[in-house]
Amino acid sequence: MYVSTFLSLPSYGAFLVSPIVPADPGTFSIIEKVLLAVLIMLSVVLFWLRFGVVLDKILKSRRDPSFRLTHLGKRAWDFFSEVICQSKVIRQRPLPGLAHAFVFWAFLAFALVTTNHVATGFGLDLLGSRNRSGWVSIAFSDVYFGLAGLFAVACAISIAGLFVRRFFARPTWLARPDHELSYESGVIAGLIFALMATYLASLYVGSGPWAHGLWWAHTLCLLVFLPLVPHTKHLHLVLSPFTIFFSRGSFSAIPPLEGDEDFGLVAGKDLTQLVTLQAYSCVECGRCTEHCPANNTGKILNPKEVVLGLRSYLNDLGPASEEPLLGKYNSQEAVFECTTCGACEFQCPVGIEHLPIIVGLRRGATNTGAWEDDYGGKLFNALERNSNALGMSALERDKFVQKQELPIFDGSQEYCLWLGCMGGYDPRGREIISSFVEVMRHLGATFGVLRKEKCTGDPARRLGNDLVFQQLAEANLEALQQQKVKKIVSICPHCVRTIQEDWKEFGLPPEVEHHSEFLARHRAELPQSNSNEKVVFHDPCYLGRYRNVYDEPRSIASLAGSLVEAERSRERSFCCGAGGGLAFLGEEQGERVSHNRAQQLVATGATTIGAACPFCNTMFRDALAASGDNSPRLLDIAQIAANQIKAAQPAQVAASEN
Amino acid sequence: MKIIVAIKQVPERDARIRIDSGNKWIDLEDVEFSMNESDAYALEEALQLKEAHGGEVIVVSAGPERAGKTIREALAKGADRAIHLQSSDETELAAYDALGVARLLAASIQDEKADLVLTGLQSDDLGLGQTGVILAELLGLPHASLILKIEVAGNGLKVLRELEDGWFQHIELATPAVLTIQSGNTKLRYATLMGIKKAKTKEVRVIAVADLVASDPSLKPTAPSVVLDQVKLPHKQRSTQLLGGSPAEAAAALVEKLQFEVRVI
Amino acid sequence: MSSVLVFLEIKNREISRISWEAMAAGHQLAASLGVPVDLAVVANRDNPLLQTIHGKVPRTVYAIDDPLLHDYTADGYTTACAQLIEHAKPTYVVFPHTYQVRDFAPRLATRFQQTLISDVTGIEAGPAFTRQLLQGKLNASYHHSGSEVCFLSIQAGAFRADAAEAGSTAVEPFLPKLDATQIRTKPGEPFRASAQTVDLTSAPILVSVGRGIKEEANLPLVQELATALSAELAASRPICDAGWLPMERQVGSSGQTVAPKLYLAIGISGAIQHLVGMKGSQCVVAINKDENAPIFEVADYGIVGDLFEVVPALTTAVRKVKS
Ligand SMILES: Cc1cc2nc3c(=O)[nH]c(=O)nc-3n(C[C@H](O)[C@H](O)[C@H](O)COP(=O)(O)OP(=O)(O)OC[C@H]3O[C@@H](n4cnc5c(N)ncnc54)[C@H](O)[C@@H]3O)c2cc1C
Ligand code: SF4
Ligand code: SF4
Repeated sequence: MYVSTFLSLPSYGAFLVSPIVPADPGTFSIIEKVLLAVLIMLSVVLFWLRFGVVLDKILKSRRDPSFRLTHLGKRAWDFFSEVICQSKVIRQRPLPGLAHAFVFWAFLAFALVTTNHVATGFGLDLLGSRNRSGWVSIAFSDVYFGLAGLFAVACAISIAGLFVRRFFARPTWLARPDHELSYESGVIAGLIFALMATYLASLYVGSGPWAHGLWWAHTLCLLVFLPLVPHTKHLHLVLSPFTIFFSRGSFSAIPPLEGDEDFGLVAGKDLTQLVTLQAYSCVECGRCTEHCPANNTGKILNPKEVVLGLRSYLNDLGPASEEPLLGKYNSQEAVFECTTCGACEFQCPVGIEHLPIIVGLRRGATNTGAWEDDYGGKLFNALERNSNALGMSALERDKFVQKQELPIFDGSQEYCLWLGCMGGYDPRGREIISSFVEVMRHLGATFGVLRKEKCTGDPARRLGNDLVFQQLAEANLEALQQQKVKKIVSICPHCVRTIQEDWKEFGLPPEVEHHSEFLARHRAELPQSNSNEKVVFHDPCYLGRYRNVYDEPRSIASLAGSLVEAERSRERSFCCGAGGGLAFLGEEQGERVSHNRAQQLVATGATTIGAACPFCNTMFRDALAASGDNSPRLLDIAQIAANQIKAAQPAQVAASEN
Repeated sequence: MKIIVAIKQVPERDARIRIDSGNKWIDLEDVEFSMNESDAYALEEALQLKEAHGGEVIVVSAGPERAGKTIREALAKGADRAIHLQSSDETELAAYDALGVARLLAASIQDEKADLVLTGLQSDDLGLGQTGVILAELLGLPHASLILKIEVAGNGLKVLRELEDGWFQHIELATPAVLTIQSGNTKLRYATLMGIKKAKTKEVRVIAVADLVASDPSLKPTAPSVVLDQVKLPHKQRSTQLLGGSPAEAAAALVEKLQFEVRVI
Repeated sequence: MSSVLVFLEIKNREISRISWEAMAAGHQLAASLGVPVDLAVVANRDNPLLQTIHGKVPRTVYAIDDPLLHDYTADGYTTACAQLIEHAKPTYVVFPHTYQVRDFAPRLATRFQQTLISDVTGIEAGPAFTRQLLQGKLNASYHHSGSEVCFLSIQAGAFRADAAEAGSTAVEPFLPKLDATQIRTKPGEPFRASAQTVDLTSAPILVSVGRGIKEEANLPLVQELATALSAELAASRPICDAGWLPMERQVGSSGQTVAPKLYLAIGISGAIQHLVGMKGSQCVVAINKDENAPIFEVADYGIVGDLFEVVPALTTAVRKVKS
């Protein structure tokens, strides 16, 4: 019977006729049993030697005071989807992702197989693979071992594929800073392959010396593999399920500062348990770096290295150190090159939250004055003195409000229209406001603007200046409360995000929405163009990844014609380069992010670029102007809507005259 | 080096201007205040000197209670302690002219025996541009005004003074001395959260103007020599004047404006 | 006997234009009070510049002279002027509001227990003195109380210099008693910032050029205008990006922040990143062919037209006036 299965591949059909079980390795001598026990102990000790240290560093880190183990349902779901189903791993890189998932699933499947395997060495027969009797052996011997075999095949193929990719195809994001290949990954891959191969082989051989030898081979692979796990990036095997389960719960969640001594991530003593856990979970897959706009345009920032820098710091100095985090292990310059686009955090398959880390490091530098930057200083002083990021006189905003005859919010209107710095002061931002106002009037929505409005504090927040941010947030909250504002609508995703999420630390903000959401609700009342214009919509980071709004702006952009998509769009959208306060920080190193993204948009062949953020708008306007005369038109969705209304009007007049 | 910096809290540069009912000043309701710009540069110079040569930076400010915010800002940026010459309300100090206020300031800092007194070049609100120079005279110290850079040279200082039309000059003087600082030559540091927290524990000595005057009757504002009678809004609002005609005509019109209105030719 | 004493200032080997304006203000004030005008200049009695004094005829011209006054020092000037005031006993002392006057006049007034009324823009009946507050956003009128001497300084451009009148005045030398130990500061030679280093932030006039110039080969057009105006050349980012002008000349959010007396924006649209770098300019002139360009929003004077026509015309007009 065993011989027959030996000849045929273990197909599902084969289970039915012949149960598939690993070959009986026979009996083990006392010496063998002792040796086995010693080896197991050795392996576990070696495992613990490293894992114990890591665990200690995690547990000895500062507790995260703002962390609450709430939303258990969502946590369970995330765990199921991201850990069990490997959804992120697969979604972001389908082929290698699937390969990884097969390895992972095989590991799950092997949990029982392995237990049984080791038990055999001590003469135990847990799953009844030897003395097949009763339901246990039916369930396991006749189905489970075969199923595990299928996983083993998939896993072996996958790991071989991954090996080839890492060592022969060599995508850049897997590279290490020293450009060396990670040989430990090779060894691990070899071990996994050997584990699978020995198991599969044991399904074919009959009992006897071969089986005995295979048993030992499998066991030794296992015992070598185990201690390697904590010593290599495969530590994520153990940690990442926890990382994902214990996430902060929302995207780019910047924790409040606690007490008088907390200035953000200044030194090791500021690293919280969550951050340390995350630092040790990184699997060095480089997904974050692959999508990082800064890294892609020649900046030194590399989000993977930011995480690994923390890990090295923890390895060398531990979580109680007073040594600054920025310096040897992480570069201040790099940290301040981040646009806070969130692509890294969004991509990371093991649940690492880069933004709280990067913004945390910036807070540590800015709140203590360690960050010295001419443009940054100018920005903060402008925010303090003029209460807007551009350092313009508030009278300029008044003039615009008067000229446009914008009503002042007095409580009788439904919406408070938030102008924001760009809407209030930038000539192009003002055009967006004017168009949006036209549309609102067309739709009969009532709105008013605040007499006095300060910057929401977004650039201060992202650059880690909690002092300025708090002052602005509190002043704005008070003004809104005084006017009894219930609903805010804004043309700027940065304003929306900051009002809704970041202000919460200081009070209860009114309901706020982005104008794309408002416009999408009224989509039916807006005239559709039947031109054959090709429109590409650029997802602003703070609308897409930060707010999960993708379809609403598209529904408005499509008023102008038919939509085409850029190669990187929706969740994978590429930043315009303005976020994180970078629009105010002077020249970039390397290529400009905005130019890179503008080229991606132009490459779609679209005749109109739809934008939904005044910062994206200013970045692209500049980039497109530099790229030549016949570049596509750049319009905010509000301008698209307003243009449609205008275009439809003569027709309506004509129609009513007839 | 012990450095005193005189700072003033003034209405925000872009404050909405409405004249108050007495026609003597603007309505301060709704107005926000900030540190006078050139004073901020004076403070920055002082902090840089302290960082380079050690010592102490003391800020002094005359003004009502609200000026405390600006004082705390200065402490947050790195000043070591402060003297707040506090007026009981918005009008108490209005009874003094520039000389009167300078006398109060001089009286409040005399005992400090500072090596250097810095002030801003002029205040953004009254724009008199005199307090520093008057202080020098009252304290019997040499002074230099419109200073862009301060270097310690031997026992004294070598300072860079701005002259008109892009000219400069070095001036050497011994300490103690008074310097009035011109804006714009250095980058201002920003206030930090850590600075604000540290500032909470720093000393602010509050001296009530009335108490100071009571201790020295010669400071009393019996008869200021210069009296403000009333304020008015100027008629002219800034707006764009388009110059038309042929290029030559427009150019000629522009040159005339540059000559007689902007006065740069 | 009461009088108005006007101090004139010599600069670049001539009596400065603003001194004539201060003199006109002094005459106006004196006329309203019915008192004579005396003038004072720090100069040797034989200084030929004294012969260039024109306008309404004063009563006396004091030539204050002492070797210790050859180089300006606040201490020297304060002491010398104080002695002259004690000697001449004027009721009003009028200065041109120059950097030098700002430096010593407050000190001088303090010696007489007085406050200088600085930066006066107008003199009305009373006499009431007008000056600006809050950077020109408010006009205030002041009067001087008491019978002591009153000190004023007159803002540049606030008064028009009087037309010359015939007549001559005796020059009276005034030799103050000065002692070198009274002078506690040691002034160095005035110098200009070196021409090698571009420092846009201290240039009083900037001619700034934008993408409207089209080609690098057209730059001499604006360079000539800059030379005619003794201005520095500045640019918007595209010009510096293209390498037509060095980065140090870029004005804007990622370049320099400037606040000159005059900013001439030529072929610049006025993007926000550019505006934030030059919004502090005292006077902005825009030349642009697009009348809707945002730069006109912040301009004091605008010419809507083709820069290739307007700029050469402007250069010619400036040269004509200057020669
Ligand atoms: C993060 C960031 C930072 C930036 N930093 C800066 C900065 O520091 N400084 C800066 O300047 N920009 C900066 N920019 C670029 C800025 O957005 C604009 O792209 C730039 O200022 C435009 O320069 P411009 O006005 O010269 O060109 P354009 O916007 O192309 O304007 C050219 C103007 O010339 C006019 N014109 C054309 N031909 C003629 C003619 N024959 N006669 C008269 N007029 C003519 C046109 O009407 C137009 O108004 C920055 C952009 C970003 C995104
Ligand atoms: S947030 Fe964006 S710019 Fe910042 S590190 Fe992540 S991917 Fe890079
Ligand atoms: S941080 Fe996340 S995405 Fe980046 S390398 Fe590590 S595991 Fe991959």
